[in-house]
Amino acid sequence: MFLRNKINFLIAVIFLSSCSSMNVTEERVYSDDVKTVEASSSDSIQYDNKAVFASATIYFEFDKSNLTSKSIQILKSVASALNENKSIQVTLAGHADERGTREYNLALGQRRAETVSDYFILNGISKNRISVKSYGEERPLAIGQDDESYSKNRRVEIN
Amino acid sequence: MNKKLLVLIFSNFLNAELILEITQGTEDPYRVALVQFEGNKNISKNINEIIRNNLTRSGEFKIFGNDDLISNPSDETEVIFNDFKILDIDYLILGKIIEEGAGISVIYEIYDINKSKKIRTSTVFGIPNKNRQLSHYISDGIYEEITGIKGISSTKILYVTEKDNFNLVIADADGSNEQILLKSSDPIISPSWSPDSKKVAYVSFETGMAKVYIQNIATGKRELAIENSSQISSPSWSPDGKFLSLTMYQDGNAEIYILNLKNKKLTRLTNHYSIDTESSWSPKGSKIIFTSGRSGSPQIYELNLKRSNSKPKRLTFDGNYNAKGSYLPDNDGIIFVHRENSNFQIAIKYFDENYVRPLTQAQLDESPSISPNGNVIVYAIKDDGMGLLAGITLSGVKFRLPAKMGSVREPAWSGFLR
Repeated sequence: MFLRNKINFLIAVIFLSSCSSMNVTEERVYSDDVKTVEASSSDSIQYDNKAVFASATIYFEFDKSNLTSKSIQILKSVASALNENKSIQVTLAGHADERGTREYNLALGQRRAETVSDYFILNGISKNRISVKSYGEERPLAIGQDDESYSKNRRVEIN
Repeated sequence: MNKKLLVLIFSNFLNAELILEITQGTEDPYRVALVQFEGNKNISKNINEIIRNNLTRSGEFKIFGNDDLISNPSDETEVIFNDFKILDIDYLILGKIIEEGAGISVIYEIYDINKSKKIRTSTVFGIPNKNRQLSHYISDGIYEEITGIKGISSTKILYVTEKDNFNLVIADADGSNEQILLKSSDPIISPSWSPDSKKVAYVSFETGMAKVYIQNIATGKRELAIENSSQISSPSWSPDGKFLSLTMYQDGNAEIYILNLKNKKLTRLTNHYSIDTESSWSPKGSKIIFTSGRSGSPQIYELNLKRSNSKPKRLTFDGNYNAKGSYLPDNDGIIFVHRENSNFQIAIKYFDENYVRPLTQAQLDESPSISPNGNVIVYAIKDDGMGLLAGITLSGVKFRLPAKMGSVREPAWSGFLR
């Protein structure tokens, strides 16, 4: 009983509504338009007053944030450079490999950066000179899905 | 009805925009005849195709088109029930397209073949250039009438893509109709819907540090969830829309807080030297689950918000990596990322069972998000290094959504929108 026009249809709706067990519905489509926004990136990294010898990268084991003996060797020389040049501010950016969830990896990267920060503070560097942050798994250095790439990405970058 | 295992591989349907791949279907699908709708042939072909894809993707339907049928009735007077009974058809769908100015409307009818009667007549009034959305509405009406469960074709999925830039994208549940909410040269993670699906919260690194933003979808207006010098992440809306749970790094370590969105007051929920993050609310808002490393490996814990000083209760015990949990909509279990050997899989744990049910078998599956009707989980996979979205129904149907804007990840399913 497909009807030829809307008026007939509405009459039919009224008629059918009175029948039991027959489901009659009406609905209206809503607009799903969205507004696109562009984020303006601020230049967060400024290298101006940073000496090259305070830059280093420290690597970590999977799901770990403790320092290896090799890392401590590197951190020793960075710490003494920082102690000799009191004007240098340092940024510690923690990273994780892509395995596991993004938010847990963000927290893990932060933990790694905090471990490095703790080492510096213990070695006499003022907390005010250190800023700590994490990129989690969002800024990989190596993009492969293999152990070699993963080990390069589990790091803290000191700048 | 035939007890056959339905194994279908569809790719590149007539609509080139949509690539739908179903690798496994349910054993006992509803057999539905979908006769091409009356009216403008081009429009009806397009609408019928979308409806067919939507119903097929659910895994619960086997659709018969004009060529598969003995007769193609154009209205009720032409319906010969026996023509459909012979083919073991359960339901027949007829429809008519009405063009009114720039917009179109559709009247459709559902017939129960076994009872030889019409069981539903519905009208969907469309708006210009939204025929796809109109088709999703019809799909949901058919799905609801036949299964008794609310349909999800008209719902949306939010996700992040990366290709040169990072984009926060909103798309239809079938992966079509992609629209960009936010473009950024810095990473975007953890998108989350407000319960009314009008706003989104997400983490952006645009200031050089993770911060949580709230953005209105229709107007584009955006703001920081809270002004604070620390790193802030992992937003999740309370079901009543009044609170946002967050991970904050104020004392250097990841801890979970609840932000009152009205007065911006923060309440601290966790206090532990290990990582606490990835909070997610129970459907009624009385509990929160989160990931914690307090046992030595990431595991999922539950906090009862109604009891003061309640201790987190550990929910996962199988394996040494269980993370990013969320509740099933009817609160009878959780879905999460579970590591089995070296593989990260999507898993489900029902509260009345003491074991984990893995749902997927790949190596790097993550970010599961469940549809508001509780039937489908969308998640992120890695295929040859490329991020893609995949779906699985709780009845075991698997499908993939097309990647069109680069590497895709972190899907989040909206609530019901119609």
